Amino acid sequence: MNTQGVTLVAAAPSTIERPEVEESISLEHPWIVLVWNDPINLMSYVTFVFQKLFGYSLEKATELMLDVHEKGKAVVSSGSKEKAEMDVYRLHEHGLWATMQQDAV
Amino acid sequence: MARVKPPFATTKKGIAVNLGPDERGLLRTLLGEVRELLTTAPIGDPKLARLFPPAYFDNDEAETEYQRLMRDELIASRLDSIATVDAFLGDDKLKIVTFTQLDAFCAALNSVRLVLGTLLNVGEIDDDLDEDDPRHDELALYNFLSWLLDSAISALMENPHASNPHM
Repeated sequence: MNTQGVTLVAAAPSTIERPEVEESISLEHPWIVLVWNDPINLMSYVTFVFQKLFGYSLEKATELMLDVHEKGKAVVSSGSKEKAEMDVYRLHEHGLWATMQQDAV
Repeated sequence: MARVKPPFATTKKGIAVNLGPDERGLLRTLLGEVRELLTTAPIGDPKLARLFPPAYFDNDEAETEYQRLMRDELIASRLDSIATVDAFLGDDKLKIVTFTQLDAFCAALNSVRLVLGTLLNVGEIDDDLDEDDPRHDELALYNFLSWLLDSAISALMENPHASNPHM
C-alpha cells in the first residue's frame, strides 16, 4: 500500500465521513439453481447429470430427479451468482432446463 | 425388440458398442443434421430452443447477457461431442469406447433427442406408438435414440469410478 498520503489525511480528520455500511452485503441472499420438468430428458439421464455435475450420491441424485419429475422443479444447487451461473451453464450444456434466481429468504 | 445385446455393454475389454453399419450410418446422418443446425440456424430458431434454454425467467437484461456470453460455448461444446462420436462411428474397426467417448455419446445422443423431440412436440406419454400417428416413423426413431441413450447411461453408471472423479 502506498503510505505517502498519510500526513495529508491526518491533517483533515473532520472531513472524513464514515462510509455507510451496506447491510445487504452481509445478508445477501444466495442464488438458487432450479431444474424444471420437461418431457424429453430421460429420468436416467437427469439422475446421471446430477451425479456427474454435482457429485451427488445416486440416492440424492435420484431424489432430486423425482422431485423434478413429480413436483415440476427442484433446487439443485445454490451459492454466489457466479457459481449459480456456471451451474446453469453446465446444466444447459447437458440439455437440462435450468434457471437461476435470487432466493427470497 | 429382437436384439439380445444391449447397444452399450460392459465387457472384459471395456464398454463395447454393438451397432451395425446401418445404425452407425443413421446416427452419423442425424449428428450431421444437428451439426448443420448448430452452425447455420439463426439465434431464436425454434428447432434449437431446447438447446439454448433461458437462464432467467424475469430478467431480460441478465438473460441477454447470459446468452451473449454462453451461447458460443454451448455451441462449441455440442459440436465437440458430435465430432467425437462421429469419428468413432466412422471407423468400423472401433468397437470399444473410452469413457470420454461414452460421455460424448450421452451428450450427442441427447442433443439429437432434444432437437427431434422439439420438432415432434413429444409428450411424456408418447412411449406407446400409435400406428395412425403421422409422426409414427419419427417417433420410432426418437424412441430408438432414447433406448441408445439409456443404454449408454447404464454403461457409465456401472463404471462410475472412471467417469466421475466425484463418485
